[in-house]
Amino acid sequence: MRRTQMQKLFKEIHEAWLATQFTGFMSQTQSRQELYEFSNILFKHLTWIENDFVKQNIKYTYDINQVPIRVDKLLTMIHDIVRRMELIESELDACKDESITFRMRSDLDYMKSALEKIADEEVSSAFNMKKEFPDIELSDEAKDALTLFLFEESYKEYELIMVYNYSKANSTDAFLNRIFQILIDESFFHLRSFGQMMAQMGILGVPRSLMEEIYKFDDLEQFLKDGIQEEIGAKEECKKLADAVSSSSEHFASFFNFINNQENYHIALMEEALAHINKR
Amino acid sequence: MTADALVMEHMMNPKNYGKMEDSDAVGMGKNPENGEKVAIYLKVKEEEDPFIEEISFQAIGCSTTIVAGSLITTEAKGIHFSRAEELVSATLGLLDTQSPEDAACTEMVALALKASLDTYLEKQKDKDFPMISYHIKTDCTPNEENPDAKTV
Repeated sequence: MRRTQMQKLFKEIHEAWLATQFTGFMSQTQSRQELYEFSNILFKHLTWIENDFVKQNIKYTYDINQVPIRVDKLLTMIHDIVRRMELIESELDACKDESITFRMRSDLDYMKSALEKIADEEVSSAFNMKKEFPDIELSDEAKDALTLFLFEESYKEYELIMVYNYSKANSTDAFLNRIFQILIDESFFHLRSFGQMMAQMGILGVPRSLMEEIYKFDDLEQFLKDGIQEEIGAKEECKKLADAVSSSSEHFASFFNFINNQENYHIALMEEALAHINKR
Repeated sequence: MTADALVMEHMMNPKNYGKMEDSDAVGMGKNPENGEKVAIYLKVKEEEDPFIEEISFQAIGCSTTIVAGSLITTEAKGIHFSRAEELVSATLGLLDTQSPEDAACTEMVALALKASLDTYLEKQKDKDFPMISYHIKTDCTPNEENPDAKTV
């Protein structure tokens, strides 16, 4: 019973985090930064409840329902986020750690009052499927390649955030946890870059939920080896994209070269983690 | 709605995506080459020809798999098993018209649907019957003459 209630609370927080993060992508004003900060807070809440699960040896999953975000007006999403926060508040008693629930109540109170002050915006362009960038001419081939890349990679970054988060929550190895945290931060940065681009292109969508076996794996070494191969593949994709859009947009080409080079850092971190595992 | 817009719609908002906690049967389609897989969950109304009341899917795979899963489960919702078997056959019959990558993804979804139907039927005889998994036969390596074939 307790596990079910905690899992429900955990799921609500997870969905509220994604709803807030993706509403941030829709906004074209200062509100974006505020929504990003609130999504950070909700993600932190998620990790607090997760730590409570781990401390009490309760099994949990990252299962969520799809988070609908297709709206015309930003305030429709803001009202939905406030509703989600109220739902979280109503379920907070599932967590018996009062220091956690006190902090969460305080955060939720503040966030709800701040959200009420957010101004409305027209955001339907984030979903119009035009696959166009303002002031940038892209060939149809470049548009399609970019669209596919953004769908694949936005999901991948979400997946990596959750995989490394799960690994971190369930590991007591400080060396590995430092690497996991850096990789989580890197994936957040990439998710935000890609999410903003998706909104600009009119193709914004929340990533699908993860199958349990993606983050509950037995062999970290194999996961890291596969991860390195995937990063190498992502580097190739970035290079291809940079080439495909270079004639249309110097800015895009340099962005994808920048992402490509960042993958080198991720590979180095994963190699460091692998070396550490093999040394143990 | 053009085909392109239809594909985009299913990418942005895949239909019937997610785990079904109270399903009557689950089936799996797998690509043994790369570890990609699709699970299809069914809620079935027992009749002489069983009826698919609810259907959902989850996948470890690319966007093409998600689009195929969204399209096929939409077609399979609210039909009888006999019609669902026809849907599987018709889908498998169209694989030759697709690029190898697309065909592999589509086959994986069709086989997951087939596996879920078969699992349900077996569970009627033995309620502890395990989930059935089928492996795809299509090689998803891109054609040499078109190595960069895209799925959008």
